[in-house]
Amino acid sequence: MAVTEHAPTGRTQHRRRYVVVGVVVAAALGFLLVRGLGNATLYFRTADEAVAQRQQLDGRRFRIEGTVVAGSVQQVANQVAFKIENKGVVVPVDHQGDPPELFKPGIPVVLEGHFVGETFASDRIMVKHSEDYIAKHPSRVTTVPPTTLPAP
Amino acid sequence: MRTRVLGTFTIAALALLAVMALVVTPADVNQQDAVRFLYVHVPLATLMYVAFGITALGSVLYLLPRTRARKWDLLAGTSAEIGVVVTGLVLVTGSVWGRTTWGVWWTWDARLTTTAVLFVVFLGYLALRRVSGDADIRAKRNSIAALAACIDLPIVHKSVEWWRTLHQKSSLLDEETFMHPHIHGTMYWTVMLGIGAFLLLFSWLLIHRYRLARLEDRLEDEGLERALAERRAEALAASS
Repeated sequence: MAVTEHAPTGRTQHRRRYVVVGVVVAAALGFLLVRGLGNATLYFRTADEAVAQRQQLDGRRFRIEGTVVAGSVQQVANQVAFKIENKGVVVPVDHQGDPPELFKPGIPVVLEGHFVGETFASDRIMVKHSEDYIAKHPSRVTTVPPTTLPAP
Repeated sequence: MRTRVLGTFTIAALALLAVMALVVTPADVNQQDAVRFLYVHVPLATLMYVAFGITALGSVLYLLPRTRARKWDLLAGTSAEIGVVVTGLVLVTGSVWGRTTWGVWWTWDARLTTTAVLFVVFLGYLALRRVSGDADIRAKRNSIAALAACIDLPIVHKSVEWWRTLHQKSSLLDEETFMHPHIHGTMYWTVMLGIGAFLLLFSWLLIHRYRLARLEDRLEDEGLERALAERRAEALAASS
């Protein structure tokens, strides 16, 4: 008989425990995501931001983003020099290694490396493609929108 | 019998998708032929949201006292199993596509990181489902864990808007551009066909796996009853 009397309180205790566990797990997850993604908010600095913060960034490794300036690409052996631009600020880049296949002037890229003086010494180029998909030989499309940079 | 019809439609839709994706649609102006990953990667990603969405729905229905029934927890678990496989495929197809267009297999940007978290968290959920205990307590525990895991789902979706990422923004579910899609002509319709074909495949898998889950559940119940009956018989035989 005692068992049936105690059953309801045992149940509510159980329920309360699950709610507490659930809240703790959710809070821990949320905390991890916010903390982990705090860094991802600075996944890259745009070229103009990087130049503005050059003092603090000196020697530090970070990612920089900008559009490859037309006519600035010079490839020598397994090294490529070019310029990237964002909001009128131009950053010269020295890259060690071969650029990826889709690398070309006029496209946005994300680079990994650090500043050496005014120049960005990069060892990794990532081509940032837009969410637009356009046929290579557009028969129906009359106006081709330019590949746009995301708003900073 | 009805699932056989569904299966036939699924195969036909997937075959049509293969023809559209590999032969009919043109190469992209920037990505060339690598754009064809679009017709698999985007439908798989859509499926990922649908699968875990059903998991969330099943868990809520189980937790609400008015609709509480063990079948909802079974549906949630079934959908999550398929969801984990699909998320794995999203990560793999995305990685190969990333290598060909971005130039890297992986990078820790917000979209990729949150998707990897989603994969691991739901793997944990599937592991938790196997922890033994009373069936009803287990179902409740599963449902709460599923809802906690689903917190990541909207974060994955919004990650490309909330943070700077290498991953491009959404091409389809963007409110401003819904009427003016980012994907042109036949490419757009092929993505839509891909989503439809993969949804058919998902329904087929879900129905079959759910039936199996119900049978497993019944087997467990009946096995327990039989064991109780046997013990009772033994006790009676011993006392007489």
